[in-house]
Amino acid sequence: MTTGGNVLAIAEHREGKIAGSTYELVAKGRELATGMGGSVRAALLGKGVASLAREIASRGVEVLLVEHEALETYTPGGYSQALAVISAVSKPRVILFAHSAQGFDLAPRLAAEWNAPIVANCVDLAMEGGSLIASRRILNDKMAVELSVTSEQPYLATLRPGSVKPAGPSAGMAPVTPVQVAVDPAKNGRTFLGYEKPQVQDIDIAAADVVVSAGRGIQKRENLALIEQLAKALGGVLGASRPLTDLEWLPKTRQVGQSGKTVHPKLYIACGISGAMQHVAGMKDAGLIIAINTDPSAPIFEVAHYGVVANVLEFVPALVRELRGGS
Amino acid sequence: MPLNVVVCLKQVPNPDLQFQPSSDGKDIKREAVNYKTNGADEYALEEAVRLKEKHGGTVTAITAGPKRTEQMLREAMAKGADAAVRAGFEDPAAVDPFQVARILAATLGKRPHDLVLTGVQSDDYVYSATGPLIAGFLNIPHASVVTKVEVQEGGFKVWRELEGGDQEVVSLPKPALLTVQFGINQPRYAPLPAIMRASRQPIQEMKPSDLGQPSWDGFRGPYAMSVRQVSPPAAKGRAEMIPGKVGDQAKAVAQLLREKGLFRG
Repeated sequence: MTTGGNVLAIAEHREGKIAGSTYELVAKGRELATGMGGSVRAALLGKGVASLAREIASRGVEVLLVEHEALETYTPGGYSQALAVISAVSKPRVILFAHSAQGFDLAPRLAAEWNAPIVANCVDLAMEGGSLIASRRILNDKMAVELSVTSEQPYLATLRPGSVKPAGPSAGMAPVTPVQVAVDPAKNGRTFLGYEKPQVQDIDIAAADVVVSAGRGIQKRENLALIEQLAKALGGVLGASRPLTDLEWLPKTRQVGQSGKTVHPKLYIACGISGAMQHVAGMKDAGLIIAINTDPSAPIFEVAHYGVVANVLEFVPALVRELRGGS
Repeated sequence: MPLNVVVCLKQVPNPDLQFQPSSDGKDIKREAVNYKTNGADEYALEEAVRLKEKHGGTVTAITAGPKRTEQMLREAMAKGADAAVRAGFEDPAAVDPFQVARILAATLGKRPHDLVLTGVQSDDYVYSATGPLIAGFLNIPHASVVTKVEVQEGGFKVWRELEGGDQEVVSLPKPALLTVQFGINQPRYAPLPAIMRASRQPIQEMKPSDLGQPSWDGFRGPYAMSVRQVSPPAAKGRAEMIPGKVGDQAKAVAQLLREKGLFRG
């Protein structure tokens, strides 16, 4: 290990936009690299993305830019071919990916191809000696785990979005360094065909000041009416956690979370929602969050400002009565 | 075009329960844990059975886990899997997805597979890594977070879910591996006669030597991974809890909403 302690952050972009999580990787990568006496660099793969490279470089991080016809959209095969070259050039000790539909599609595959360790969905990372210490949440975020990994190969890690503060703009512009890579599209394995956007024919819950969301705790579809009454009493709209839209109790347009809508209402009430990461990612920045759940250890109480341990089917009608002028 | 589908299943502690660290602080306390089939894997199994019903072929359910996982494999057979294989990897914690994926890849690599399905994530460790790792070890293409599968000449057209509700449509030649997202279908319940029949069906057990290694350690990567500590997460922004019975709680919340100007009336 003569290569010092460089860290490589894999930038993510789609349709001309850098994912916000990229700057979180840069911030964490900078912290890890500083501790190892190395430096952090970002890798940006794509076609016609020089302006995105400059955008990243304006956060004070050197960007290794790979442009190739076969990298116009993400495929694990194309990225794998390019990253093998970049990794050989920049010799990172740690390679960081967002724990996203792209990051966790790619990083574990590279781990198998490179015979390298993978720690996924981490909320924090640190180097101790030559070992990587990964902090994770397991079992619906009810328990915390620290893993220690010691490897000669680069460490591959995916970082849960929202876990660290993103790198801000920097005074000076860092360089953008083009890297030439031959990518054989025949080896990509999987072919990108297109994107499909959801057809919006519903209210936009992201535009509402008050969102009252229902989760598995409401038990039956009929009970949605109770939650909707509360939403109406507060002049708000009805949202849901993923399990309810999967069951088609409500359309996808009402889903709050990573794979649904991100909402920033003044008031968010979570009714019978346990608070899985996937949901919390979509509502944690609401002004005031009130959560109702029967389970006092439910992770939703970690993000809520106020918590009510109660059966939501008893509490919500009682609250509606109070709002309508007491019983 | 009949399809040979292999579905990888994991048995996990029911995540709705409460957990405590084990006495050595390296795992959760497992004595009283209630196990179930991983949530996303139920959807993967259902998708495998539906593909078989539509296109013909076979479904094989496989797992790497202790004896208790046979219950899960029998449920899978009752729901339509034709055969079940258990790699007898006894580690109850199994924290390294690399090792588990390598065992699963070796196990399923020995049988015909046009399509390999896994759940998008496990409810206990939530790595979302096992599927792409298996695909990497088998050197076959893969796609994660799949919400729809169509069988095409020579392969598959699949829809994968991205952040913000967008979908990405991709095609893959067969054989391929897909990690299946929640909600892709509505998993069925097993009918009673099928449950009775599955209780008598054999489950093939694989030992490391059947897969060319002297021990399960032979499937580890060239690095050391260990658990330093399992603990309840440090409460960071713990909510202020509203005390009392339901009536008192409702009064307190109504008052709070009025004070904050979020309700006028």
